Amino acid sequence: MSENIFTELYNRVLSLFGQSAPKEENAKDVACNRLRVVLMQDRTNLTPELLQRMRKELVELLSKYVEMDKEALELNFEQEGEQMALMLSIPVVRAKDEAEIEEALKAEDDDSEEAEDDTSEDDENIEEDEASEEQESEEEASQSDENAQEDECNDAADENDSDAEQDKE
Amino acid sequence: MTGRVIVITSGKGGVGKTTTNANIGTALARAGNKVVMIDTDLGLRNLDLLLGLENRIVYTIVDVVEERCKLKQALVKDKKNPNLCLLAAAQTRDKTAVTEEQLKDICDKLKKDFDYILVDCPAGIEQGFQNAVAGATEAIVVTTPEMSAVRDADRIIGLLEAKEEITSYKLLLNRVRPNLIKSNDMMSVEDVVEILSAELIGIIPEDTGIITSTNKGEPIVNDEKSLAGTAYRNVAQRIMGNEVPFLNLEEETSVLARVKKFFSNLVGKEK
Repeated sequence: MSENIFTELYNRVLSLFGQSAPKEENAKDVACNRLRVVLMQDRTNLTPELLQRMRKELVELLSKYVEMDKEALELNFEQEGEQMALMLSIPVVRAKDEAEIEEALKAEDDDSEEAEDDTSEDDENIEEDEASEEQESEEEASQSDENAQEDECNDAADENDSDAEQDKE
Repeated sequence: MTGRVIVITSGKGGVGKTTTNANIGTALARAGNKVVMIDTDLGLRNLDLLLGLENRIVYTIVDVVEERCKLKQALVKDKKNPNLCLLAAAQTRDKTAVTEEQLKDICDKLKKDFDYILVDCPAGIEQGFQNAVAGATEAIVVTTPEMSAVRDADRIIGLLEAKEEITSYKLLLNRVRPNLIKSNDMMSVEDVVEILSAELIGIIPEDTGIITSTNKGEPIVNDEKSLAGTAYRNVAQRIMGNEVPFLNLEEETSVLARVKKFFSNLVGKEK
């Protein structure tokens, strides 16, 4: 009890000096974040909905291979000279072991056999993903558009491989 | 002599393009270069006011283009510095009075006699911008640490990158307020540089002296004591290829910090 009184007193004294204890997000960070989003749209013609969708799909794709902090995923377009780069920064929580990866891929293949879209669930995920900033990133990937396409091809190849494995079984 | 043609542009209006132009031009001339400034903001000319030359203008760029006078006749010499000239915009005409080719032609002619040709670009991304950029090979993008100015600067950078003639562009961050940055109420220099991912050529602090210097028609670079003036003089040095460190605005503007530094120097230990 007495501790609470003291902390309250402390907060009051702080607020007297114009420093409210529970700090709200400051104007500078709000400006930076809003600008990043707006510039991403200006530079790419992607609407906020499309960006969220891209983000969600990237999370889904990558979570098959590594366990990552989905909330802290950062997606940015950066102009470097004439080249526009897609900067994807995700803190990796833990590397998945082979069994887990195989399981994830298997589950996905099963899903695609059922071939059903569960869009309603997806929308909920989008909202969850929205508020995610200020985390230190451990992995940074820069991919030009071409590379991204290549990667897509590779993924397709990977899936084919796993198909082949299943066939053997 | 082949002069460098540098366009000073911003996208958004009111961020200090013309002030920047007047000050960089004056600073370059003070450093011994032959400088000509071209005001391409037809119908909304102001560069003459900032230089205090509004009463000396006889011919404008439109008169040159429509061959009512020779190019040299239209160049107005600065009051103080004979190395500095202004080619004024016409106040009574609109942006269509001069074409891209005509501006390019004027820049090419001026290159022979001047070290630097600074082109003051109108706000916006329409024809006025296209005209101003036409003769230039370098650009300075002026912006302030405000969202709308940064967004417009990003757009301008995109357009500049699409221009083959523009070989380099640099960012000039104007009206920086160290106190607001310190209290996290304003985007910092680093924030803006990171967001725009452009190379910085100058950081100019917000300075009330700019208002008085504009009122007097006397660029602030002529005031040796002014912080903004020093910042602009440094920009001119960087344009000339000299390496000058950026001013530490936080330290210089805070009186308390200066007093602290003074005393810590007395005691003899580094802050």
